[in-house]
Amino acid sequence: MPSIFPSEEWLLELKDYINQDEKYAHIARNWEGDVMFHIEPTGALIEPLCFYVDLWHGECRGVKMVPTGDLTEAAFDLTASYDNIVKVLKGQLDPMQAMLTRKLQVKGSMPYMMRNVPTVLEFVRCAQDITGQVLGEN
Amino acid sequence: MQPILTVDLTTGATGTLEIPAEWARDYLGGASLAARILYDALTPELDPFAPQAPLLFLNGPLSGTSGPTTGRFVICGKSPATGLWAESNIGGFWGVELRKTGYDGLLLTGAATDPVYLFIDAGQVQLRPAVHLWGQDTYEIQTAINAEIEGATARVLGIGIAGENRLPAALLLSDHGRVAGRTGLGAVLGSKQVKALAVRGAGAIPVADTTRYNPLRSAANRALHQDNLTASLRDLGSAGGADYFDYLGEMPKKNFTAGTLAGVDNLSGASIAETILTGVSACHACVVACGRVVQLPGEKEKRKGPEYETLMGLGANLGITDAVFVTRMGDLCDRLGMDTISVGNTLGLAFDFYARGRLTAADTGGLALEWGNAAAVETLLPQIARRQGFGAQLAEGARAFARRYGDEDAAVQVNGLEAAYHDPRGASGIALSYATSPRGACHNQSDYFIVEIGQAEEDLGLQFFGRQAGAEKSANVAIHQDWRTVFNSLVICVFGNVPPQTVVDLINAACGLEWDIPEMLRAGERGWNLKRAINNRLGLTRANDRLPRALLEPLPDGGSAGYVIPFDAMLRAYYEARGWDWATGKPGRDKLEALGLGWVAEDLWPAT
Ligand code: SF4
Repeated sequence: MPSIFPSEEWLLELKDYINQDEKYAHIARNWEGDVMFHIEPTGALIEPLCFYVDLWHGECRGVKMVPTGDLTEAAFDLTASYDNIVKVLKGQLDPMQAMLTRKLQVKGSMPYMMRNVPTVLEFVRCAQDITGQVLGEN
Repeated sequence: MQPILTVDLTTGATGTLEIPAEWARDYLGGASLAARILYDALTPELDPFAPQAPLLFLNGPLSGTSGPTTGRFVICGKSPATGLWAESNIGGFWGVELRKTGYDGLLLTGAATDPVYLFIDAGQVQLRPAVHLWGQDTYEIQTAINAEIEGATARVLGIGIAGENRLPAALLLSDHGRVAGRTGLGAVLGSKQVKALAVRGAGAIPVADTTRYNPLRSAANRALHQDNLTASLRDLGSAGGADYFDYLGEMPKKNFTAGTLAGVDNLSGASIAETILTGVSACHACVVACGRVVQLPGEKEKRKGPEYETLMGLGANLGITDAVFVTRMGDLCDRLGMDTISVGNTLGLAFDFYARGRLTAADTGGLALEWGNAAAVETLLPQIARRQGFGAQLAEGARAFARRYGDEDAAVQVNGLEAAYHDPRGASGIALSYATSPRGACHNQSDYFIVEIGQAEEDLGLQFFGRQAGAEKSANVAIHQDWRTVFNSLVICVFGNVPPQTVVDLINAACGLEWDIPEMLRAGERGWNLKRAINNRLGLTRANDRLPRALLEPLPDGGSAGYVIPFDAMLRAYYEARGWDWATGKPGRDKLEALGLGWVAEDLWPAT
């Protein structure tokens, strides 16, 4: 049974899934950059939440939940409300639509990001594939 | 709104035109209001180069208010490229300066007997001799005019040699390379023997309710500054999306015949940012600053860097992937006063004919027009602007060139305007943008590709369809056209990723209105249908709503290989969404009346 989002188990499952996904490995083969996800509390999430994903040359090298006060920095910071992240994970909101309609904020190297939009979309596809139940759902 | 300054270039007489309050309300300003003002004058018989042809420069209610991307104005008239409605908007500072003189617009009629330039100096209007400026480039005239007027710097909008020679691709340029490139209005100014328009003002920009407007403006600018699309445009320019467009098969190559091109990533905004970029430039008060400032290897001077359309038109469309070369050629086109979209497209057709053996070096003055032959491009651009040598054959644009070789449908154009560099096979909605735009194959009346990659604003009622979906997205395209018609009325920039409700709040505060988003979309729809009606009067029918052959064939490779646009089904669904008459191509009487255009209905549908 898939892990609930957001949780440490969901993150570990994401890591394993990415590392066996051939399409991701191919499209993201040149990607070098870790990502910090900042999730703002809306809906069922009542505290801000942060998690970290280290992506490198088509692999996921590591994941972790990031507690408040942790000083880990990443090449990219993605910020969105919990409700919008859930919509993306459930395929109800396209990730590019989220970025272009101000529902998901990106910080980091724009040249790098814009050269690698297909990698970003493949990452989201993997995250969607493993997402079942989310916080706030029965 | 402030009055419009009128100048009869034949007699030198000046006057003012007061705009009825209900016109300013119903059409907002800019292009839609221009369509209302020019409706009666744009007749089928009117030669765009006849002295009586009007040329209207018009601001919108937000122009110069320092709101988000509001430093723009529009130029309208009858197009020598299409014979239809002409509209081209432009940033920089000229329009704002005009508003500061106490006029929201300038209406030129007549023609001077010898070259002149117009100097509007805080309400004083002078026609000054410009024989000595004729033949100068679009930057030289800015320097020369400012050297001969006393006092503070004037903003100068002018034409190059292409405008003097009445090319249908002739543009107007001001400031640091801001251009009104499309529909050939530089040629109309040239036909009036006007080299430039210099403006200097010192007045305030009128806003109905500053107490309401100013805080909204500040908040909107702060939010826009933080926006993702803004970050991409500021860091990478308008070519920021080039890599993704290439991946999708949305970026044209080799006259729209190829889906891949080795080395094309050299032309992306990311590549330019990492190689030749040294700074950015902006139109009046714009927080986006999409303009590029570059320094080329071996040069001390900095210069304008290329935007997406130039990179594709003079690059990928010709099989060229050298961004430094394209930068130099873009600058050359600006100086000669030629639109890089139209010229690149016309050159692409010539290269295509050469590749197919339909042209030989014997036809081209000895030039081998092989894909990637940069030297040939550099030779031909001045020839085109001067109508010399083989360039004279290309000077009338792609449609005329294709006709010369007996194959009009080979030209990638609609109604005489060459297509911009967004391939509908990669994202199909732009097929309708090209086919139904009031000014030909234009990407700015609805830059629908941005909706296809994600800017589907739910507040406007836009849905997010697959990029190669068909008729199901036709109504969506119509909504987006209506929204962009609002932008072109205000006049604001399509690059400003401002939430729709914020745009509406800004208009309400600037104009003293209390409209909501549907009401504003209705104003856009009114403007769209008015321009359509003008074109119907000029002879446009459904047969004009078409795509050229190249875009209806599948590409052999790349991200959209094999896809064929279901164009007929899309167009039929579009007509249904629009309430247009399938037999004639005109807006239906009921639709016109519902939009408050009953007076147009009387004209298009006279009682029999
Ligand atoms: S985004 Fe660019 S073109 Fe648009 S107004 Fe700003 S600087 Fe001008």
